[in-house]
Amino acid sequence: MKTSQMIARYKWYEIVGIYAGIFVFLSFVLAPFVEGFLVSLKPLGLLFSSPYRFWPENGSFRAYVTMWESVPGFGWYIFNSFFISSVVTVIVLVIVVPAAYAFARFEFRGSGVLLGAFLAVNMFSGAVLLIPLFRLMRNFGVLNTYFAMIVPGVAFLIPSAIWLLRTYMMRIPKELDEAAFVDGASYFYTLRRVILPIAMPGITVVAITTFIGAYAQQFIFALTFNSKTEYMPLPVGLFAYFGRQEVVWNELMAASFVGIAPAMILIFLMQRYLVAGLTAGAVKQ
Amino acid sequence: MGQLDIKKVQKFFGNFEVLKGVDLEVKDGEFVVFVGPSGCGKSTLLRMIAGLEDTTQGDIVIDGARVNDLPPVKRGIAMVFQSYALYPHMTVFENIAFPLRVEGMEESRLRQKVEDAARILHLEQRLQQKPGLLSGGQRQRVAIGRAIVREPKIFLFDEPLSNLDAALRADMRIELAKLHKRLRATMIYVTHDQVEAMTMADRIVVMNAGGIAQTGAPLELYHKPANLFVAGFIGNPKMNFLPVTCISQGAEGVTVDYRGHRITVPVAGRPGLDGQPLTLGIRPEHIGMGGGDLSLTVTPTVIERLGAETIAYASLDGKAENFCATLSGSVGIQADQPLSIGIQAADCHLFDQEGEALERRVSLTELDQRSRQPAGLPV
Repeated sequence: MKTSQMIARYKWYEIVGIYAGIFVFLSFVLAPFVEGFLVSLKPLGLLFSSPYRFWPENGSFRAYVTMWESVPGFGWYIFNSFFISSVVTVIVLVIVVPAAYAFARFEFRGSGVLLGAFLAVNMFSGAVLLIPLFRLMRNFGVLNTYFAMIVPGVAFLIPSAIWLLRTYMMRIPKELDEAAFVDGASYFYTLRRVILPIAMPGITVVAITTFIGAYAQQFIFALTFNSKTEYMPLPVGLFAYFGRQEVVWNELMAASFVGIAPAMILIFLMQRYLVAGLTAGAVKQ
Repeated sequence: MGQLDIKKVQKFFGNFEVLKGVDLEVKDGEFVVFVGPSGCGKSTLLRMIAGLEDTTQGDIVIDGARVNDLPPVKRGIAMVFQSYALYPHMTVFENIAFPLRVEGMEESRLRQKVEDAARILHLEQRLQQKPGLLSGGQRQRVAIGRAIVREPKIFLFDEPLSNLDAALRADMRIELAKLHKRLRATMIYVTHDQVEAMTMADRIVVMNAGGIAQTGAPLELYHKPANLFVAGFIGNPKMNFLPVTCISQGAEGVTVDYRGHRITVPVAGRPGLDGQPLTLGIRPEHIGMGGGDLSLTVTPTVIERLGAETIAYASLDGKAENFCATLSGSVGIQADQPLSIGIQAADCHLFDQEGEALERRVSLTELDQRSRQPAGLPV
């Protein structure tokens, strides 16, 4: 990098420090993944050999094949996870986009209180409200359905999504709305033709965070509100590898990686779109 | 038709009175410029005419119909914003077509109209581009195109040129004046730039602190400012004000005293002025070297040489406010050297204690006609 700017020039020891810092933090983040992957390659019998070896002897990808045989419904769990998260994301977007637009643009009584309340809801984790939610679900008779896992997910993800998107929409110049209004466009026409396309990068961010959020939090809702095997999402489904006698660690790890893969791929694709969207929207005002 | 009547219009933001009862009539086809310092309410008044702000009190009437409660699109107005407010994700064509799409106009007529507007504004080559690729002047033309296609009765411009650089601004001024001639529509234009106001307006509305300070043709405001505010606001560098005392009034005008110097200014007198402190106004460009009806000696501290003219700044009475004289370009003066200047009585303005002007005896008939046809504009 001979042509780097003055501000991006570092002394050699600064560069060493920066990379050392990156290495320390990355090892904390990535070590479990590496270890998990190595475990998935080991034959079960050698897992608890002593002395413990990180590097697998006789390593093979057999666990990636046998995992499908020992838990036949595993494909379903992946689908369920994906299905629940996707539906949650779609519902959240449908609700949050107009709501965020309203919070960003209109002054109405109680908007500040509502936004504060959303923040407050965010501070409760879903776990605190599990018991009341369970009773509610039971009264409505929706336990053991997709509905029971989707609705709480939506409810807990809406507040942060509104905050995120509202902030983004506030950056869109108000004159655009006014110009459309002067030209006779209704609020919904303006939202659809003007605001939505410009807010697309922000909406993508919200979609990604919501999807990840739904993926992460479905465990606790699925564990509590669902006992039907065919509706199990992936995190609960992984318990199937916990046998009566022993945990099939190598298959469990293999299953974890396979289970994460679709979501990883999706997020990777969306992330590329996100960067493209950000530059496309960067028009000087 | 595009006749606009503003009747006793008031606007409050909370308890703050932004507009204090504004009355104004704009004739069909007129180019009216609202000018004033920031915060004077000119943009608010424009936004109220547009229908973007509600009117606390009073009526806004367009072509005889009260429009206070109508949405902008039903008022027959189109607005051009300072920031252009172009939709960044749409092509120039779609930007201009936007109001017609809202109307639901059929495709062939829409295409025709957009192309007509593009031709007027020299945007034919740009129709398929996004606004991000255009220069500031082109973006502003797109914004104007979006206003033109609706064929409004009244065009509203909110400081449309203030984001452009000086050279482009001069070009756009001429283009806007040509556009006005071509469309013959009523145009209301808000600016804080008095050059834009002077060059484009049929009539200027000078606003100050939520009210109209004076309304008149550009040269009328220049030659017959109604009060100290307008006198100081119109003209650059701004008018010099000297504290004087009224000595007597006669057929030739009002005689005043400035530090022992007497000058008789040809303005209409008024009973009870004798002995009162008045303010004498003299524009920098009306100050000459020596001679004149009132001679003063000043010591310029700063001299700016612009080639065509030389501007000398001096401080009178040790006051911070500079006394300013615009002299010829090649005048041989130096900073910190005493300079003898002269003022013609006919060029002077007199203001009473309330800041109201005593009417000058200047004939404006000739000036009026000239101001209707701004000089140097190719038609």
